[in-house]
Parts: sequence; C-alpha cells; structure tokens
Amino acid sequence: MKKELIFKNFSVYFDHYLFISITLLSVMGLFFLYSASHGDLNSVIKQSIFVGFGLCLMLILSQPDPDFYKLFSSLFIILSIALMFATMIFGKEINGAKRWLNFGFFTLQTSEIIKIALPIFLASYLYNKPLPISTKHTFITLALICFVFYLVYSQPDLGTGLVVFMAGVYILFLAGLSWKFIFTSFGLVVLSLPFLWNNFLEPFQRQRILTFIDPSNDPYGSSWNITQSKIAIGSGGMSGKGYQEGSQANLNFLPEAETDFIFAVIAEEFGFVGICILLAFFFFILLRCLYLAFNARDRFCRLTIGGLSLVFASTLFINLGMVVGIIPVVGMPMPFISKGGSSLLSFYIAFGIIISMATHKKLMQK
Amino acid sequence: MIDLNERFIEKRSFFNRLIIVYAFFGFAFSFFLYQTYSLQVSEYSEYETAAIENKTKEVLVQPIRGIIYDRSGKIIVNNVPTYDLIIRPSKIRSIENFLSEISLIINLNSDELNYVKENFDLKARYNRELVVKKNLSKEEIARFEVRSYKFPNTFIDVRYSRHNNYPKLFSHAVGYVGGVSNDELINILDSQKLPQIETIFKYSNGFQIGKTGLESTYDDLLRGKFGRKIYEVNAVGRLLDERQFIKPINGENIFTTLDIDVQKVAYDQMDNRRGAVVAVEIDTGSIVSYVSTPSFSTNAISNGISSSEFNTLIKDKNKPFFDRASQGRYSPASTIKPAIGLFGLENNIIDWDFSLDDPGYFILPEDQRVYRGWREGGHGKVNLNKAMIVSSNTFFFSLAYQSDIYKLIDYLSNFGFGANVCADCFNPDKGLLPTPEWKMNNLNFGWYKGDTVNLGVGQGYLSATPLQLAYYSSVLANKGESKDLSFVFDKTDLKNSYIKSQNISDLDWKKLHQSMIGVIDSPIGTAKRLQELKKYIVAAKSGTVELVSTETKEDYKIIRENEGNRDHAIIIAFGPMPNPKYAVSVVIENGESGGSVAGPVAIAVLNSLLDK
Repeated sequence: MKKELIFKNFSVYFDHYLFISITLLSVMGLFFLYSASHGDLNSVIKQSIFVGFGLCLMLILSQPDPDFYKLFSSLFIILSIALMFATMIFGKEINGAKRWLNFGFFTLQTSEIIKIALPIFLASYLYNKPLPISTKHTFITLALICFVFYLVYSQPDLGTGLVVFMAGVYILFLAGLSWKFIFTSFGLVVLSLPFLWNNFLEPFQRQRILTFIDPSNDPYGSSWNITQSKIAIGSGGMSGKGYQEGSQANLNFLPEAETDFIFAVIAEEFGFVGICILLAFFFFILLRCLYLAFNARDRFCRLTIGGLSLVFASTLFINLGMVVGIIPVVGMPMPFISKGGSSLLSFYIAFGIIISMATHKKLMQK
Repeated sequence: MIDLNERFIEKRSFFNRLIIVYAFFGFAFSFFLYQTYSLQVSEYSEYETAAIENKTKEVLVQPIRGIIYDRSGKIIVNNVPTYDLIIRPSKIRSIENFLSEISLIINLNSDELNYVKENFDLKARYNRELVVKKNLSKEEIARFEVRSYKFPNTFIDVRYSRHNNYPKLFSHAVGYVGGVSNDELINILDSQKLPQIETIFKYSNGFQIGKTGLESTYDDLLRGKFGRKIYEVNAVGRLLDERQFIKPINGENIFTTLDIDVQKVAYDQMDNRRGAVVAVEIDTGSIVSYVSTPSFSTNAISNGISSSEFNTLIKDKNKPFFDRASQGRYSPASTIKPAIGLFGLENNIIDWDFSLDDPGYFILPEDQRVYRGWREGGHGKVNLNKAMIVSSNTFFFSLAYQSDIYKLIDYLSNFGFGANVCADCFNPDKGLLPTPEWKMNNLNFGWYKGDTVNLGVGQGYLSATPLQLAYYSSVLANKGESKDLSFVFDKTDLKNSYIKSQNISDLDWKKLHQSMIGVIDSPIGTAKRLQELKKYIVAAKSGTVELVSTETKEDYKIIRENEGNRDHAIIIAFGPMPNPKYAVSVVIENGESGGSVAGPVAIAVLNSLLDK
C-alpha cells in the first residue's frame, strides 16, 4: 500500500483509494445534477468548478503534517466562530434563515466550516487527556459543543446544528468519555425531552416531526415533500426510468430536486440497482476511513479520522433517511452529490485532513 | 504524557468505540436499504401508479348534441356554429401589445378587454386557451384570416349554440337546454365513468343539458359521450404534451313524430289564447302535434336572455312557461259523455232504445237538489244518440245516478283518466280520477250520490290534461283499443291496452261514432257550426267547463264580466270517419264554447293532417 507518491525529492501525500472514489462520486454527482436541474448546464458548470477546486483543496490539505492541524486547531475554531458571528451580523437572509456569508464570487455557509473545525479542535484538546475523560474536561468539551451547536441552531439550522453537535459528541465518545456519564446523561435527556419539545423546537419543526409520525396528517403541507419523494423513489422500481426520464423530477413534482432530494432523482432514474452501486462507493469510503483510523499514527489522528468519518456518515444517513421517510425532514445535503458549494467544500476539506492524518508517518514511532 | 500501557488501553478503547458507532451506522444504513427496497420493489406498482397519476391530466372533450327532426325529416333543433377568436396565453409574451395589435382588426369592447386581461395570467400559467371574442362576424373572420400570419398563437375555432328553427312552435314539446349545474355534471360524468370535471367546451355557453320537453326526456341520447384529451402536466398543473385523444361520441339524432306543418296550423289557430292542442296518430299512438299557448322562444332561453326579458316572461299572467298540454288540469265536461254512455251500455243500465224526458234539469231524489242542463226547458224526449248530439245533461245525470261509483271509476280508468298515458312526455300530470277514498282523505267529506251525478257530465272533481283527452279521443276512435302516446317512432316499450267488454259490440261502437259525427253534422248538434269548416267526416264531442256554478243565464252574464270566470272551451275529435286516423283534443281557457271556439281549432288541425 502506497501512501506517498515520490516525485524526485518532493513527496506528495496521497491516498488513491479515497481520492479515486471521491473523484468518481463527484463526477457522478455532476452527472445526476444535470438531470435534476432539467439539463441546466450553468449550474452543472458552476458545480464542476467547485468540484475541481475542492479536489485540489483536498490534495493540498493532505500535505501538511498532522501536527500542523494540531497546532493550529485553536486558530481554526476561533476563525470559524468568528465567521459564525460575522454571519450573524452580515449574513444574507434567505427564507428567514441567516446562514450565508457573501464573498462576491462565492456564498459560504459558515456552519459547514465549523462542522469540520469543531471535531479537529476537540481532538487536539482531548488527545492527551488520561482515560476516562475527567468530569471537568467532559463539561468543558460539552460546553463548547453546546455553544457551537447553539450558534448554528440559532441561524436557524437544526439539521447542520445536529451534525455539529454529533461531531463533537463523537470525538468525546471516541476519546473515552466515561460510560457512567453516558448512561446518566442519556437518562436525563430522555426525561427532559418534553421540555425540549416545548421550548427548543420551532412550530414548523414540531409540525415536521408530527407529520413524520403521521404522514396522512397533511398531504399538501409539510409532508408534500416526503410524499413526492417516496413516489419518485418507489416509481423508479428495480432498474429505474432511465437517465433524465424521471417524471417526478422533470415535471417538478419533487421539491428541492437539486439539493436535499437529489437522491430521489437518482432512485427514480436508476432504480434500486443504481442506488446500490452508488451506495457501494459511500460504504467503501466509510470502510476505508475505518481502516485508516485503525492504522493512524497517534491518538490525535485516530480521533480526527474517526470523528470526521462519522460526520460524513451522519450527514449521509440524515439525508438518505429523510428522503426515504425514515427520519423527519431536517434539510441536509447529500455529500458530494447535492448542489451547493459549501457542503461540497467542507467534505473535501475533511477528507484532505483525513488523508493527511492517514499518510504522514511519525518519524519517532516504530 | 501517557505511558505505553495506557496507550494500548486507549487504542483498544478507541477501536471498540469506533466499531460500536460504525455498527450503529451499519444497522441504520441496513434499515435505510430495507426501506428503499420496499419502496422500489415491494410497493413498486403503487408508486408507479401514483407517479403516472401525478403527471397526467384528463380534460374532457364535449360531444355535440344530437339533432331533433320532425316526422318528415325536417330539422327542428340544430347546432349552429359560431366562430370565436381564441389565443394561447402561455405563448404570448405581452398581452398589452397583443391587444393593441388585434384591436386594429377586431373591435373589442371594454368587457371583452377586461375579461382577457383578468384571465390572461392564470390561463398562461396553466397553458389553457382563452376566448378573446365570441361569435365573430364574417368580415371579422375575413380580416383576421388575411393577417393571421401576424398572430401565430391566435386562431379561430368553431363553437356551437343550440338553435330551434321554430323557437315558439316547439317550446313545450321539444323544450330548451341550459347550463349544467355542478351536481348534474358530476352525475353525468359518473354515469360515463369519468372522474374529472374540467371540460373543453363545444358550446358557446358551456356544457348544456336538456331542461324541459324532449331535450330533457331524451337528454341521455342527445347528449352523447365525452371524449378525453390526456395531457402530461407538471407539478403546478400546467398542460404540457397532449398524449392521447379519445374522440367524443356525438349525441344521437332524434326523429320525432311531430309534424312541423300541423304544429304551425295548431299554433296559429290558437292565436296566443291560453290553451293547448294535442293531436295523435291513432294506430301508433304517436304525437303529431303538441302545442301549449302562449309560448316563448326556446332559443332565447337556451342561448342567453336578458334578465328583464326573462322577468317579463316569468311575470306574464298568461304563464307562457306553463305546459298546459301535459300539466294543465281541466274538467272534461261534456266530452266525458261518450265514455259514460258506453258504461251504461256495458252495464245494461240503458240501451240505444232507452229514452227519457229531459225537462232541462235533474232532481236528485235523495235531497231534491236540482242539477241543470245547458239549455233551459231541456231537449224533450232523448235517447242515447240524441243525448250525445244535443249534449243532454239530464240523460247522463240520470244514467250516472243509476251507476255504481266504483264500477264507473274503474271503467273511466280504461280511457286514461287518472293515469300517465305518455311514454316520453316531460313531467306529465295524471289529472284526477276521484274516488270516495280520495275525497275522504283530501276533503274530509264522504262521497255523495250527487258527486256521482256530477261525474256523469264530467264536472266536479274529475280532471284531465289535454294530453289525456287526446288519448281518450283516440281510445274512442279505435273502439277501445289504444297505445300509450309517444314522441318518437319505433318506441318498443309502448303499453298496449284495450277495454274488456261483455255487452258492447262493434255495432255499439259504430252507433257511438255515428252519434259523435252527429255532434257536427246534425242540425241540432252542439258543434254544428263546424259543418262549413270541415273537409272530412269528423266525429267530435264538445264540452264547456263551468268554472263558477250559476243558476240562470243572467247570473252567468254577470260573472263573465271577469274573463277568468268564463267557462273553458273544450273539444275532442277524430276522423276521417268511418276509419279514423287522427284524434285531437283542444282546450281553450275561458273560451266559453267548446263547439264554436275550440271546435274550429280541432277541425283546422284535422284538415291539415288529412290533407297530407
């Protein structure tokens, strides 16, 4: 297994399994997007610029030694939080949500950045703490997680907020959070659910959860999306209707076909066979990450690879689960496939860092 | 720093925990795959259907209504095409520009301009057609056609209106059409197993159904079957490609037994007086003429009428909408006498030789009440023949007095009294054949002998429609045999009936006919004035319906000051004798004399029928 490409005296850190599968997924994403956007070449070109840029970024971010990330992780998180505040003040409001910072050529969804920065920072904070993590460090970590979660949640963006929250919790758990603490807090959360329901969820979020439990509640209200999504997926059948032949997507029955519900377009046009092939790529990436985490050079790298790969898995599952109707609609893009630069870039960054963590050998070790 | 042992424990703990989370995701993704499998494989057909239903929309295409013909094949009601200017708003960029350009060719009034502006956006969004102007003139069509290349998404299409060529002659017989209510349309669509109610209209005033007359009774046939255009639609309901066109089946034409010429004679003879004429062909039971006057124009009602004109019609005290022919109830008066005479013969109460002295009145033995005839001093010695010719009330009072009421009612029912005698008339009234039970239930009085006596001259509670009287007339003409009346040829389910009799022979019928011929031909006949009008030998029986009971002629002169109190004139007739082909009934409200007022109408109708 090669982990470095050596060009003369200059070595490039590179994991071809991840690189090739991510590149293939991105290209397939462009191909699906062309159909989902009814053949709108402009948005495909725009997306392919992001893909090209993202792949380069991934390659570049693979080069620094993990110690670089360890060293600058506090700077990353401070910068990301600063961006979040900037969004709060200067952000562009779309449909009542303030999630985007406008840089002229590119509109950045800042919560996508903090989704990466938080687990890296927590990994650098916890990597040298003895097992099990002490109550003090647990609470400091949780306080930071909750703070960041609240920043994202208040935009409002519950979906990304949950992923950010989970990203933090994954690191904490992997770093060795005590089981006693886990069981105690789990009990407390269950008990406080009614309180959360009444005080933290917006009425439309409650409605989404209620329609999720009983979809017949309002066919043209909040469950319209999920009904149409299920029709699109179901009518795709075993082998699909064919590329650009999906009537649900082409005739606009499917909402958000280019972004959150792009999986439904794929399922409609390529059927169960097609989505199994697509998912194989995702599963391959996840398993590759598992392997890399096991073989990482130190605890920091292990935690980072594990945490980031789980962020990836969570995002994917929330998106897929939402589209087929097994979890409520929260608004979550499909990694590498959905239209949208911020989410795309965040995962290139994440995998760039994962590759860096996986490929650099510690000179002292072994 | 952590020592090597701790490093090993840490590493193992990390692996275990990562495996736990991965296992959780493994489980979650398996569940996801299971869900996807059930959507795409197990429940595929349901979702496939749902996707097809989502993207298709059926728009109904209206059939063209059947044509209604008269018995000689002349068109009574037709569909007249009008030409409408129609646009496709979704393909027109600026409606303002379009309107300013089209206005140079076709003049649009402010109502039409407003209608187009108000509906343009909506029709454009859903890709529907929009009618800019209805009923273009020939010059407008010509002006548009030469410049049509300038207007690529504008075209002229034909629409129809229902047009009766004789709008006043057939207003009650054929009736009119009108817009359909939502409920009615839903019922029609249900009967044709069609779910949608969006319709492409072929008629300039939308989908029409028969409201009265034959348009209503034969609506099912005339209506036809909807066709369907199946479109692909997008999520907002915009029509995209037309996928399939199932042509409508146009309505069937109806060939009626009505005769336009005879209808015209009857209508002109009535001269807008209140009343009705019904003429039937005896052998077939087919209705040849069916007039109720005064009348109204069905075209105005079917294709739009101003509300003031409509109000004038509605408020007219002569009630032009009222179908007197099948819904007007009139006492048969003396026209009942042939049936009563037959009853007397059948039950051996009288025979042709039986006679009595007619002093001009009949005294009911029970209470000494006096029942008067029409002629003071009476008719002297009368037998059945003379009683018919001179219309002696005394003779029939006496005959009825000796009759059993139940037997009499049963006998009269043979002639169509109290029953529906028409297979396809619109909402016919059954009149009233009173029974003692009916009187007790409705008037709370028992049946008096006097009621039976009154029945003997067709007065009192007995009432019939002109349609029933025509049927009665044809039963008499056909010696007791009859067929239900109908407006169309070859109606297979017509009821045949005949009067069972033990004591009435063909000779009796001939004598009866002879006495009815005498009503006109005898110098003492009540309708002797018709002698100079008739061209054929006609049997008849006139009647005069008393609306107000008076003791003397002087009293009548007082009450006739009010036109509404005057007697109704009534006559039944059939001819040519001795082999009658047609039977007629005529009622003229407040016409006073059956023989000399209703009679000429009946003779004119028979003349025109027999002249053919």
